[in-house]
Amino acid sequence: MSLGGLVKRFDTKLAVAGVSLEVPAGSFYGLLGPNGAGKTTTLSMAVGLLRPDEGRALLLGYDVWADPTAAKARLGVLPDGVRLFDRLTGPELLGYHGLLRGMDAATVDQRARELLEVLELGAGNRTLVVDYSAGMKKKIGLACALLHAPRLLVLDEPFEAVDPVSAALIRDILQRYVAGGGTVVFSSHVMEIVERLCDHVAIMSSGVLRMHGPLDQVRGDKSLEEVFVQVVGGRVATGSELAWL
Amino acid sequence: MTGKVGAWPFVRLKLRLTANGLRGRSSRIALFVLGALFAGFFAIVGYSSFAIPGVADSLFAAESALPLGGAALVLGWLFLPLVFFGVDESLDPARFALLPLHRRTLITGLFAAALAGLPALATLVASAGMVDTVARLGGPAAAGVQAVGILLGLLLCVAVSRAVTSAFATALRSRRSRDLAAISLALLAAAIGPLQLAALAGAQRADWDTVASVSRVVAWTPLGAPYSIGLDVAAGRAWQVPLKLLISLAAIAALLWWWSRTVESAMVGTAGSSTNRTSASTRSPVDLLLLRWAPRTRFGALVSREIRYWWRDARRRANLITFSIASLFLPISLAVSTSSPGGTTIFVGVLAALALANQFGFDGTAYAANITTGVPGRVEINARAVAHAIYTIPMLLATATLIAVLSADPARLAGTLGLLLAAYGVGLGLVLPLSIRAAYALPDTPNPFAMSSGGGAAKGFLTLAVLLAGVVVSLPLQLIALFTAPVWLWIGLPAGIAYGAAGYLIGSGIAADQLDKRMPELLAAVTPNR
Ligand SMILES: Nc1ncnc2c1ncn2[C@@H]1O[C@H](COP(=O)(O)OP(=O)(O)OP(=O)(O)O)[C@@H](O)[C@H]1O
Ligand SMILES: [Mg+2]
Repeated sequence: MSLGGLVKRFDTKLAVAGVSLEVPAGSFYGLLGPNGAGKTTTLSMAVGLLRPDEGRALLLGYDVWADPTAAKARLGVLPDGVRLFDRLTGPELLGYHGLLRGMDAATVDQRARELLEVLELGAGNRTLVVDYSAGMKKKIGLACALLHAPRLLVLDEPFEAVDPVSAALIRDILQRYVAGGGTVVFSSHVMEIVERLCDHVAIMSSGVLRMHGPLDQVRGDKSLEEVFVQVVGGRVATGSELAWL
Repeated sequence: MTGKVGAWPFVRLKLRLTANGLRGRSSRIALFVLGALFAGFFAIVGYSSFAIPGVADSLFAAESALPLGGAALVLGWLFLPLVFFGVDESLDPARFALLPLHRRTLITGLFAAALAGLPALATLVASAGMVDTVARLGGPAAAGVQAVGILLGLLLCVAVSRAVTSAFATALRSRRSRDLAAISLALLAAAIGPLQLAALAGAQRADWDTVASVSRVVAWTPLGAPYSIGLDVAAGRAWQVPLKLLISLAAIAALLWWWSRTVESAMVGTAGSSTNRTSASTRSPVDLLLLRWAPRTRFGALVSREIRYWWRDARRRANLITFSIASLFLPISLAVSTSSPGGTTIFVGVLAALALANQFGFDGTAYAANITTGVPGRVEINARAVAHAIYTIPMLLATATLIAVLSADPARLAGTLGLLLAAYGVGLGLVLPLSIRAAYALPDTPNPFAMSSGGGAAKGFLTLAVLLAGVVVSLPLQLIALFTAPVWLWIGLPAGIAYGAAGYLIGSGIAADQLDKRMPELLAAVTPNR
């Protein structure tokens, strides 16, 4: 994935101010940043959900905005803050995504069943996705992104609201996927997961990339959390405020 | 810890939300302005009609017109939100669930906020025409009493619309009462037909004594009571005023009490959200999704999902139900009132297509899935139209049959069906491009009648524009049908299908092109305010 000078302005607010990022094929890329840094906005522009004011996004060499069909066919997305077609049941939803991707029905069935079993959502579960818990919704969203075995995965906060066992499971799935030659880009607030999984990281704040590169190079000899706080420049302790609490 | 909270913060919050919703979005500002023009137009027309009896200096006319006109206002507030416009729920009661507010405070506040809006303002201005009339007939004292009356009337209108939509929303959500609610909603929508009929029949016969006696009765019901008190003073029956005030106040209080009950259950979410079928299924995921006859392709998946959504989504279901009832009752009401059914058929056909006017708004952000999977515009548009047609065409067939039976002329069936299908096709051709260019976000609440502010105006305006355009575009066919009446019996069906198909093909082609170019913009348009 290659982003070149992406800019997005909402009203007068500059949400993303020229982000350029090279994600090497086969890498496990973590995107970090405080709330409101512009991670969701950047990833949305990268996958074709939000039209950038300037800049371009290449996915595996195909321009998302010029050649969307080719780019999207090779891409799996887990957007954040976006609903699923949640009045379908889990299996129905996977069937829907599979057929939309143009896969043949037998493959869809077989993969959907496997994904539902592995993610412990139940292949015969007839609860509508609206009635799932937050973590289950994340998991079914992830399953939808994985179903067509894309070469590139873009995941916005895949570990949010997911329990530790499922998180370990997802980590394992993603690691195997990268080992098999896939590329993963994901945003997260959980430093341990990023440190454990990623070989590359980028830190954003206020719509600008502050730091990016291989994990060891970004981290140096400190912990990732220390680097993050230092780069972003937030406060981590309270002074005399909130005394009434 | 909690200070005294009045109604004012709620009103301010609502106005602030409305203003923020408009900020920097030129399309929404345009819609808001259109809505304001609409409201202004209604206010002026209403004011002048209610002022006529005073200008004509006729107490008799005033005594017929004011209570009936007032009752029409109240009924309008009852029906229009349910059937057409929805209610502005920019203040979603569920958002207040965690605040330490008494129920009384909350209801007062929400009520005050509901009053702060264009529809309420327009209604107030329109009914001020009654004060004008009463002032000319009975002097300042009577006018003062009537002013109190129209204020009470406004409270009644708003209370009715809130209480009824909220009750229906709650009932439609709960598994137990959902079907009952659907049926009573349908019956309520159906009541529009007979009401229209009565009004038409009354107007046609123009027997003013009958009208006056109906009006006298209405003046003693909560519908007309608040609007008649000034006249009572003018006519020297001041003793009736306290009684009628009591009737009005009791009605308002009862409605607010009812509303507070349903709001409470909406806030704590007692109603189970949807069917919770626990029994596991062994069928394969694709078989579960697809309907039996659907092809195992992208198109089949889209159509099957749409068909399931028309039934599973409360908003869409309410839409289908009201249309199916309207499609049966409009022909009946017109058949009874002797006018030519040609216009009605066109109207019903276009009305059917209108359900798709904000089809992407129904999906909201879920539409992102179709963008990331790269569904081409043409496939998307055609699949949605096919799914809707699968529900609609049987209903149109029923309408045609009904018209043929009522006119005791079974031979007309084919020709009428031809006109209906032509109008439906033309309607789709108009509505599909609109559904992309004029999509708007629906609020993220389980209330199927909820509208974000401005949404109601948008919907009303679009509805009217499409109906007009649909009638105009179908006019040539209607004229042909009229002039070739004997032959039309035979060529009507194929000609109608051809006309409708042509309309559909042109419109859906434009819509598909638009969609291919504007997917992200469409997604942004249907994303609820954040
Ligand atoms: N549709 C929108 N309209 C206006 N402003 C927006 C919109 N979407 C995002 N923003 C603004 O853009 C900025 C970046 O938001 P974004 O959602 O990309 O942040 P984020 O890094 O994903 O944050 P988080 O970690 O909380 O998910 C924020 O200041 C936000 O207020
Ligand atoms: Mg985000």
